[in-house]
Amino acid sequence: MTLLWLRLAVLLYGIAALAVLPAALYDRPRWRHIAVPATIAAALFHFVSLTETLNAAHHRLPVETHELQSLLALILALAFLLVYARYRSVSLGIFVLPIAFLLATLAAFRPGEQTLSAPIRTGWIFLHIVFLLAAYAALVVSLLASLLYLIQERRLKRKSTGHGWLSPLDTPLETIDQIALKSLLFGLPCMTAGLLIGSVIAQQDYGAKYFTDPKILLTFGLWLAYIAMIFIRRASGLRGRRAVYLSSFVFLVVLFVWAANQFSAVHRFSIP
Amino acid sequence: MSQPTQHQPTQHQPTQHQPARRQTTSRLSIVSPASEAAASHASEGSLVLVGINHTTAPIEVRERLAIPLARLADATRTLAQQPGIREALVLSTCNRVEFITIQDRSQDRATGSATPNLLRFLHEYFAVSAATLEPHLYEFREREAVRHLFRVASSLDSMVVGEPQILGQVKESYSVARQVGAVSTALDPLLQRAFAVAKRVRTETQIGSSSVSIASVAVDLARKIFGSLHGKTVLIVGAGKMSDLAARHLIQQGATSILVTNRTHERAAQMAAQIANQIATQLASGPVASDTAAIACTTEVIPFDQIYAQAARADIVLTSTGSEQPIFLRSHGQSFLERRRNRPMFFIDIAVPRDVDPLMNQVEGCFVYDIDDLQQVAAAHLANRGRESAAAENIVTREVEIYLERLQSRDAVPAIVALQHSAEALRQSEIERTAAKLAAAAEPFTPAQLSAVEALTRSLTAKLLHPQLTALRKKSEE
Repeated sequence: MTLLWLRLAVLLYGIAALAVLPAALYDRPRWRHIAVPATIAAALFHFVSLTETLNAAHHRLPVETHELQSLLALILALAFLLVYARYRSVSLGIFVLPIAFLLATLAAFRPGEQTLSAPIRTGWIFLHIVFLLAAYAALVVSLLASLLYLIQERRLKRKSTGHGWLSPLDTPLETIDQIALKSLLFGLPCMTAGLLIGSVIAQQDYGAKYFTDPKILLTFGLWLAYIAMIFIRRASGLRGRRAVYLSSFVFLVVLFVWAANQFSAVHRFSIP
Repeated sequence: MSQPTQHQPTQHQPTQHQPARRQTTSRLSIVSPASEAAASHASEGSLVLVGINHTTAPIEVRERLAIPLARLADATRTLAQQPGIREALVLSTCNRVEFITIQDRSQDRATGSATPNLLRFLHEYFAVSAATLEPHLYEFREREAVRHLFRVASSLDSMVVGEPQILGQVKESYSVARQVGAVSTALDPLLQRAFAVAKRVRTETQIGSSSVSIASVAVDLARKIFGSLHGKTVLIVGAGKMSDLAARHLIQQGATSILVTNRTHERAAQMAAQIANQIATQLASGPVASDTAAIACTTEVIPFDQIYAQAARADIVLTSTGSEQPIFLRSHGQSFLERRRNRPMFFIDIAVPRDVDPLMNQVEGCFVYDIDDLQQVAAAHLANRGRESAAAENIVTREVEIYLERLQSRDAVPAIVALQHSAEALRQSEIERTAAKLAAAAEPFTPAQLSAVEALTRSLTAKLLHPQLTALRKKSEE
């Protein structure tokens, strides 16, 4: 039943991802009426599925890879809906909805069967995970918004005429820039809170040796990169191509951090 | 019922508007008597629409019939008081003057046409001879009048197809006509339907979604870059009419700081003063339509030799000088962007020769549109409106049918009711006559007999009327 909800959510994400294309790229606003409700419905089914899964398996803790992917997909879908509610823009959905679709598909069709390796303090760890995933999602949104900025800038410079492919997107350049910056500003406190909670728990449960693990060091490196990126963007008004390069670099660090989970000796909470 | 006519074809003089007039003529399709009868406002009278527009009359004629808003109520009242006219509405815009009336059907029968009333009104009210007007007038009746009104309200008959003002103007005319009591049971629902059709056309097609004038295209592009223009600074370089128009559009959209510069300082000061006056007038005339309308817009004159020092303050640079050489080079763009910490700048170059080096468009954050670029965007939008207008015409055609069907159903109801009343009266009188005869013969109906006779006659009447009522309903549906 749980997987059924998730598969339904995947189907709806797919529909939303397709419907958003004419709405954003071809200036066909009526397609919004499919894309946005489909995403809302998908997020609801996704939430139900995730809650049921976590409730049944791990005392409400997403520790297994596919559960984390699923939760990240849900946060990204919610980010898209938030941006739509605030700016009435669906352009971000061009990237966000396919990513949410893919992540949810992985979870829906290849469910993991791992369990918790040891009893842990569920409440705080849950916050730690959710805050960090929100920070990653914010970074992804910022990177995608920077890419969108680049696309919009190119389209405006190309001076294409009329409607359709290559005409300017429905979202103004400055709005896209605001989305990119504000998502970073939202992500930083999330990442800080996530790291703080994780550090306190680790210090109490494992001691100082925990902080010499490469995965943990890389995570702190990511936090510094996050701060540096916000500082550079605000100080120099970095936009366009260079903003994409910077966001891509930090996103690369995120991927390393994510991958480092596989090699970390201490940051493992599930067993097959 | 008469067919749609144009007045006295022999009077048509070849004018420069002749091709457009032929186009109008082709629109005046002959309505078959059957369909016309079906389309009539039977209970209210005949719907007659007479008017001139930009395709049938030159400005010299249109301006003689133009009615300012202040006189619209008087004109509508006067028209409604003409003999034979039951309801009236006058629509007067810069491109058209139209008189929409519901006329007594007896007028048609007496004269063969309902137009003489209107022609007399035009002649008396505007002091324009019939000979001057008639070659330019068009007349639509019933179905075609409904269709024409729907097309006008939906902006399909406008000079710039899809322009949004016309619907507001029709609504204004309707409001005035209601105030003076000139619209009632026939025109009221027709106008309400016209507004609904116009709304449907706007919602279901993209006929009005894009700008088609240079100034509004420039504003649209600025919005694609900056979103809201509220709080944005505009630098106007050179004092031309186009700059003035575009500046006005930008102010209406919320630009709050206008910098003006010109080689001749006095002209710059003059233009700044004009813009300040416009803002003052705008504020004095109360809240304007745009929700981002100028509230606290300031103007400032900048000496021309300080242009490079001050230009970085501007988000939008609107330039139209007569300079032989470009004023803004790529290097200037880079310098401005550095000083603005990469905040984008939009250059609207409507000068010929161009004031902005096209290479500046390659600078990240600088967007340069010259007059050709703007015209191409406007032309593409116009072509798109043309494509969308086909879909809009289909909506109008369907809506005309729906409206007329409803009208006919409504018209059939009184006939059905009258027939039923007549049959019932006949039945009652026959029963009373028979009851009186029997009473005179001292053999009156018993209550049981009377009840049986009542039931029998009711049943007979209903069965006899059934085919006729069905035929009436069917005919009205057809």
